[in-house]
Amino acid sequence: MGSGSVVVTGIGLVTPLGRAVGEVLDRIERGERVACRPTFDLTPFSCPVCAPIEGFDAEEYFPELKTLRLMSRAAQLAVVAARLAIADAGIEVDRTYGGGEIAVFGASGLAAPPMEEIVDIFRETAAPDGTFDVQRFGRVGLKRIRPVLSFQVLGNMPVCFVSICEELRGENAAYTPWEGQGAQAIVSGIRAIRSGRAPCALVGGCDVKTHVVAFFCLQQLGLFESWVRNGRGPIPGEGASFLVLEDEERALRRGARVYARIPAWVLSTADAYSSRGDSFAGMFSRLAASAVEGFVGAGDGDASILDAENEGRSRAGIAPQTVLHPKESVGNLYAGAAALQVALGAELARRGGRGWRAIASCADRHSEQGAFVLEGI
Amino acid sequence: MNRVVVTGVGVMSPVGSGREVFWGNLLAGRSGIAGITLFDASTFPVRIGGEVKDMDLARIVDEFPGAAGIRERKILFALGAARDAVEDSGIREGELKDAVLEVGVGQEVLHLEDVTPFAHDADPGGSSMRGLLADPTRRALQAPPDSATVILGGRYGLLGGRYTNCSACAAGAQVVGEAFHMLRDGEVEVALVGAADSPINPLGLGGFIVLRVLSEENDRPARACRPFDATRIGTVLGEGGAFLVLETMERARARGARAYAEVVGYGSSLDAFRVSEPDPNGRGAAESMRRAIEDAGLGATEVDCVNTHGTGTPKNDAVETAAIKEVLGKRAYEIPVHSVKSMTGHMIAACGAVEIIAGCLTLARGAVPPTINLERRDPRCDLDYVTEGARRFEGETVLSNSFGFGGQNATVVLRRFS
Repeated sequence: MGSGSVVVTGIGLVTPLGRAVGEVLDRIERGERVACRPTFDLTPFSCPVCAPIEGFDAEEYFPELKTLRLMSRAAQLAVVAARLAIADAGIEVDRTYGGGEIAVFGASGLAAPPMEEIVDIFRETAAPDGTFDVQRFGRVGLKRIRPVLSFQVLGNMPVCFVSICEELRGENAAYTPWEGQGAQAIVSGIRAIRSGRAPCALVGGCDVKTHVVAFFCLQQLGLFESWVRNGRGPIPGEGASFLVLEDEERALRRGARVYARIPAWVLSTADAYSSRGDSFAGMFSRLAASAVEGFVGAGDGDASILDAENEGRSRAGIAPQTVLHPKESVGNLYAGAAALQVALGAELARRGGRGWRAIASCADRHSEQGAFVLEGI
Repeated sequence: MNRVVVTGVGVMSPVGSGREVFWGNLLAGRSGIAGITLFDASTFPVRIGGEVKDMDLARIVDEFPGAAGIRERKILFALGAARDAVEDSGIREGELKDAVLEVGVGQEVLHLEDVTPFAHDADPGGSSMRGLLADPTRRALQAPPDSATVILGGRYGLLGGRYTNCSACAAGAQVVGEAFHMLRDGEVEVALVGAADSPINPLGLGGFIVLRVLSEENDRPARACRPFDATRIGTVLGEGGAFLVLETMERARARGARAYAEVVGYGSSLDAFRVSEPDPNGRGAAESMRRAIEDAGLGATEVDCVNTHGTGTPKNDAVETAAIKEVLGKRAYEIPVHSVKSMTGHMIAACGAVEIIAGCLTLARGAVPPTINLERRDPRCDLDYVTEGARRFEGETVLSNSFGFGGQNATVVLRRFS
């Protein structure tokens, strides 16, 4: 059994604004934005922009790994972010901790089938009138499906690939599909450490929402409505964020650099969008941390969430000096967003020094909510 | 540390829906595998599956207003099974406010019928695809995987946290295990947990066919899934859902609830081997069992029955058997070991929850269901697989294994409640 106190000792990010948390934080504080027009035909969609990662090549990190070819882009982002987090924490697997001692909890987004490949199959197997022909699909289509397709769409694959690439064999779970489930992955890691089941946990999430299937889903789910109403809204992004959490006593004993302690957290089941600030107020009040210096907000350009969060913060008596809204700069990473929010809060707390506290808030339109206190030590 | 008991169960499965039908058919060794009727599979190399035949779809939609328009069977299975579990527990709906909800779900796939008519444009985002968005009844993807979580949470007013787990075949066991830890550690007093899946659709079945893990014995469906048999050639897909109500013993006692069994241990692990096959040494499977037994505070000699993952694939069953022997030693040869999937088929995300319910009933009713279709034993599979029919059981503990595609493993330990 450890100290029961959990600290952040490693951060790995692959985001449109960079891979080092310090750089990402600096660029957000400078108000940089990375939104651009997607390359596909946008006419069906209300949202005109996305936030892609330029120049990402997982082979930079895994030059010999044949497994990369089995991975979706989201899984590739995840394995790179996980590797960066572990390296950042100074952990050597099976030396610092056994692979079985490191728990892995990750979140992934909605399925992202490679549409270009699949649409070809549909075209070839459609009936003459263009409708789906199940008999032709069975006869012709199945031969065209590559076996690796399953590995590229299954929601648990990012966690599995991370485990394979880093040889991690600990307690685990995969969650889906939004930011709130990313917050749950972080909480599961905290729980595993606090209960003494694991001294260390790799937690985070990944998502790719810059492709046409994602735009279809987000549009159909009504997540682009604020673009119609207000001319601004969420910027679908892509990326992965992972944190290394450790039992504080074990981390200090091995001389780890600590970003921040996580003395309090809360998950809320209320829908951020419809609660008009009630759920945010309740959540922030439960943190019992009104005296905080920093705040990493969950607002993503959808005014409804931003207003609800601001109202909730005000009602909970939280008046921080520093307020960030990362999604307006880096885009919304959905299942990958929660760990980014917490990473930014941890970096703020590290810069602030001993006792400096930030709240990282996690929520999006279709999501559960969560909030974490990050405290400099 | 709280003791945690199972006070309600609900199940919809290929061998029948409802606790008594499900259990009666398991004990009778009746297979739920037959020719696929959900779609025309006549040109598919695999044309058999374990379909749920007795789902009252209209009643489920009536009872869950949020389910209107939902077409995905897995979501309806989740709602129906959860409803049955809540009713079975005797908890009044208002008393579930503080419950945690954990739902394991199968993968959402493209709606082929909806997408195909709009897929004749070379650019998948192009002009012809606009028609898909113009028709609100059509969807590119199936409903989001957290749909059952959202509908159940709203219907029962659950505010203790809502989790959606996508750990493939380990999901059903993980949701039970994670909620068990939360109850044991005092975070919550009651939980509604379960999982559902329905991979029997053209794309779901097709995905498993190209992975070459399914039996193609279409001419004898009830015999096609043969866990631990020397002639086994693959598993058979099944569908369904299963939910449990977990409560702290104090809370259950205070309201005079009946308990099926006590949950006493949970462990999970990762193979860290390959996504396409289990570690041939069974290291991950063994570690999952070892952690669960240790979490329960038991020794290997105190395990009285193993409810296996037992898929009927050539690799799984030999690896699982080796892992059981590694963890339990001599004890592995002294206890009943069985596979529910020999009758239900592989219900993917749902299988763990279904099999944990079978484990609860094994303890509550004193009987182990048989492993059917095991006639020529694989020499590597040399345990007591309960092949003669259901067997009387007086043991105290059942260990339930679920091993997920990709290398996620989960094990839950149940104990007779007295």
